Amino acid sequence: MIYKAIIADDEKELRTYLKSILSEIWPELLICGEAKNGKEALELVESKRPQIAFLDIRMPGLSGMEVAKRIAGLCRIVFVTAFDQYAVEAFEKEAVDYLLKPVSKDRLIQTIQRLKNQLSSSTEPPARLAEVVEQVLSKLPGRGGSDFLRWIKTQNKESIRLIPVEEADYFKAEDKYTLVITKEGESLIKKSIKELVQELDPGQFWQIHRGTIVNVSKIDKVSRSLTGRGILKLKERPELLTVSRNYLHLFKQM
Amino acid sequence: MEQSEIYIKHYINARNVLIDLLYTIIISTLIAAFLTFTGITTKSFIINLIVSQSFGISICSIIMFLLWIFKPEKSASLAFIFTIGVGSGILIGLQIGPFVLQQIFSIALKPQDRGLLQTIIIAIAFGSAVSYFFYARARLRVSEEEIQQERIKRLSSEKEALEANLRLLQAQIEPHFLFNTLSNILSLIDTDPTNGKSMLMDLIHYLRTSLSRTFPDPITLDQEIDMIKAYLNIQKIRMGERLHFKIELSDAVRKHPFPPMLLQPLVENAVKHGLEPKMEGGAIMIKVGEEDEVIRIEISDDGQGFSSFNKTGVGIGNVRERIRLLYGEKGRLILEENKPNGVRAIIEVPKHDLQSYYC
Repeated sequence: MIYKAIIADDEKELRTYLKSILSEIWPELLICGEAKNGKEALELVESKRPQIAFLDIRMPGLSGMEVAKRIAGLCRIVFVTAFDQYAVEAFEKEAVDYLLKPVSKDRLIQTIQRLKNQLSSSTEPPARLAEVVEQVLSKLPGRGGSDFLRWIKTQNKESIRLIPVEEADYFKAEDKYTLVITKEGESLIKKSIKELVQELDPGQFWQIHRGTIVNVSKIDKVSRSLTGRGILKLKERPELLTVSRNYLHLFKQM
Repeated sequence: MEQSEIYIKHYINARNVLIDLLYTIIISTLIAAFLTFTGITTKSFIINLIVSQSFGISICSIIMFLLWIFKPEKSASLAFIFTIGVGSGILIGLQIGPFVLQQIFSIALKPQDRGLLQTIIIAIAFGSAVSYFFYARARLRVSEEEIQQERIKRLSSEKEALEANLRLLQAQIEPHFLFNTLSNILSLIDTDPTNGKSMLMDLIHYLRTSLSRTFPDPITLDQEIDMIKAYLNIQKIRMGERLHFKIELSDAVRKHPFPPMLLQPLVENAVKHGLEPKMEGGAIMIKVGEEDEVIRIEISDDGQGFSSFNKTGVGIGNVRERIRLLYGEKGRLILEENKPNGVRAIIEVPKHDLQSYYC
């Protein structure tokens, strides 16, 4: 039986290279398509129905991992990566096939031997791969639940400025909108405090008042006022912020 | 008292000597007024003033002179100098006082004046008290100066260490970039050796500069731009038609000193977060020029831009922190949305301000 494979990599030269060493080691293998991004890879798998997909992990659009999640039951997958520590550790543990760039011939020979064995013994590709991929994706940095606001866009004369959210000292309600106060100054953003509380990382930003959200890493100290509210002092800022009673529990001693 | 040598050396300078002389004159005047109004002496204020000044100035000058000559290291010798100073200052003052009165005010003091012993006792009492005050004050002021200098030294070395750390972080070579580039070169050796060679040369240039820039040696703007070119050439081979770039470097600032690895992270950001994830890719435009006394560098891309929830702040935070450490309030980094899409990073730093840090 003649097996079919696709190669997905956003770098043309690397597709060419993999193709050329594959043709040397496994001349009978038919490369039925090449994809330069995740979307094309998906389409190719659906239209050409290959038994094997070589997927680069970092591709524009859909990553190799995301493609794998969707085609896990359809074909055998070999991941190709230049350097993805987390993924490689997981692949190693779960015996998922992967190749490191630059791809060495010896390693490719081993991988192909394994593929041939799998293909001849069982007809169905392992469905467990989807689980492993899901598990890796959730552990990748900047993924899995950390969909918090990272950038604040503020209008500045002609242009729209971008401020990394960790540079904000605090946010203060101003009518319907909100003032963001940073080391460099103040700017108005078209979001209410209510909306911001939903979007900001609650580990890094605490609401301390109906109209105030403060960056926890910028807090210097909190003291009690005579009226029972909290007075909050920020690092490198002169002004004092009020912590209303409803939010004082945030500063209770451990 | 081990530090006395240091503080005496610090202490004897023109400014301190003048200040102490001025203090001496003021204190002597007060003593003269005190003596006159309490009636301890029966002389007029003018006579008391002249006598008091001649003691004061004599004592002060002699102590200063002795400190300057001997630079005593032990508290005993320091006290000895003050004692000698008070004693000989009084002897000299005894000669100068009547001499000045005689010459300038034509007031003759009778040699066997009853007040002579009294004058000497008063002179010794006040002379010692005032000298002790100066002695204590000198010590205090010098140790304050020392503490201040220690603090400045500590703060600036902390600042340097922080800058070095940030620079090191930025000079780190991204493994993804390195291995992908090597894979490309490996492939090009077979398919297109000429291109492979030039990619290898660019990689060598990039690696060499990255590695050497972990040192704080100043570089010029064109050196940084050369490195950026090498980097973009490599990326151009990797990404093909998905990457275009253009660099404009004005001749006026070509040889201007610039901190190493300050632009590189912004260019890498533009490629990594702007263009690489965008399927059709895009272009990077770098403009380096001057405006008044400010060097202005713009790095624009038309990539996918920072979506509000994109995590890319670390490199940018580093660049901003380094600008703050190197230029204080005078330098800044601005990030803007590039129209119709993408990001523009703008660095503005004062001209001719960096040398002071590096030298």
